[in-house]
Amino acid sequence: MTEPALDVSGLTVRYGGTTAVDGLDLRIPRGETVALLGPNGAGKSTTVNAVLGLVPHAGRVRVLGRPAAEAVRAGDVGAMLQHGGLPGEARVGEVLDLVRRSFPRSWPLDDLVVTTGIEGLLRRPVEDLSGGQRQRVLLAIALAGRPPLLLLDEPTSAMDVEGRRAFWTTMRGLAEGGTTVVFATHHLEEADAVADRVVVVAGGRVVADGSAAQVKAGTSGSTVSFTAEPGTCLDGLPGVTAVVRRGRTVELSTAEPEQTLRALLADGRRLPGLQVRGASLEEAVLTLTTASPITASPIGADR
Amino acid sequence: MSALFLFQLRRVGRNRQFLVFTVALPALFTLFFAQVFGRSADDGYQDYAAATMVAMMAYGAMGAALGATIRISFDRASGWLRQLRVTPVPTRTVVVVEILVGVLLTLPSLVVVALVGGLVNGVRLPVGTWLALVAVLWAGAAVFVALGLLLGLALEQKAAGSAIGIVGTVLALLGGLWVPVEVFPAGLRAVAHGLPSYWYAELGRDVAAGQPPAPVAVLALIGFAALAGALAAAVARRRPMYAVAG
Repeated sequence: MTEPALDVSGLTVRYGGTTAVDGLDLRIPRGETVALLGPNGAGKSTTVNAVLGLVPHAGRVRVLGRPAAEAVRAGDVGAMLQHGGLPGEARVGEVLDLVRRSFPRSWPLDDLVVTTGIEGLLRRPVEDLSGGQRQRVLLAIALAGRPPLLLLDEPTSAMDVEGRRAFWTTMRGLAEGGTTVVFATHHLEEADAVADRVVVVAGGRVVADGSAAQVKAGTSGSTVSFTAEPGTCLDGLPGVTAVVRRGRTVELSTAEPEQTLRALLADGRRLPGLQVRGASLEEAVLTLTTASPITASPIGADR
Repeated sequence: MSALFLFQLRRVGRNRQFLVFTVALPALFTLFFAQVFGRSADDGYQDYAAATMVAMMAYGAMGAALGATIRISFDRASGWLRQLRVTPVPTRTVVVVEILVGVLLTLPSLVVVALVGGLVNGVRLPVGTWLALVAVLWAGAAVFVALGLLLGLALEQKAAGSAIGIVGTVLALLGGLWVPVEVFPAGLRAVAHGLPSYWYAELGRDVAAGQPPAPVAVLALIGFAALAGALAAAVARRRPMYAVAG
């Protein structure tokens, strides 16, 4: 079979008067691990939900060569949703059992439990789970049918650092076994570390698509950082596309590092801790997803 | 389908409140009313005890049917219905199971209250009448299954939680399940005639008296059930079960 895992063309989703996804095209071959990156409201979640048939949409969506609803019914897709959840008044084992039974082929329970790290939780009432445990149970549900395609919408949002690391180790294992993994995330370091391919979404469209290295290189900009007094005026610097302050440290994303530096040094100000380096993925995404120079908080800092 | 059905039954079975309000409370009321007021009733103990039993069967079954089905709102709020949507379980199966669970869970209330009436209070009816009474009230409870589904689909979690108690209480009180409508003032009696709970109990009273149910009661209940069902379907079309709560 040569059909791609996901073939989306002209996907458009409108909520009332706003267009959340605007003619998005995306083709993901089988076996790839793809990160969907972009700020809040970029259309990542809506894209995932539309692909799964959870929101009305226009455009063409094919999942493993067939309509999404058919693929879901055949157990070919597993998903962790942002607004998905577990039923109350039930035990974890009962929920898993129910879901596993619904799939035409299911992952053996013992192995599934070990893979997702939920040993010892099966007899636990759903209400007693911590945020991270809950996410792991939801992952077990997504994997219950051993689907060839996994769609994950902010899968690690409720996990601590340790949980995140374990989660991505599991994902790498699945990807090595041939599972196609598509995940939307705010955590750029996750995308950088895990994904074969990064798709940057902004305004409901794909604005960059390639390996993390390519996306970084595509934005030829650099970062100039130094320590500055609060309130230092940084307006009107040539080449600057974004200004980020982290405490007293200022980071300027600039398309013209030389000119920016000349302007900074021209008025004789001191620049303690000065560093100039190539763009990180975070800066690349910030540059790609903001059309005009802005002062922004770092993407992902709110999570 | 059977897996989901058993799963849902087990979940409701864990809810103590549900069992207390739909089985224990109606059974206790049946006992209490007959023992305390039955001996001094104007129309004799037998009639009073039978009427109380029928009213409490109706009250318990109504509460069970509403309580079991309104819960669909909780499953939407938790995100469970959305999660189920991305498994091979068809949405239609989820709805059918919800209805079957509601229908099945009315039976314990009917049977337990009937047993208390017959064995403890000494209500005497022919065997065929006992069976007909339970069967007719079981079938009639469909109207409250439909109403519960409508409320569960239309209301958010918090409102749905309150609706279980409020709707059940209002329907019981104004429908004459706690106090017979004969003692209502005329205006309130007219209100009772506009409620499914009144016609539902009427169904039971006719059968307990050895008569076939009055056509007007049957028609009224079918009308209410059809209306609630149609509204529930319309609500589900506007906002699918798997749509995000809120």
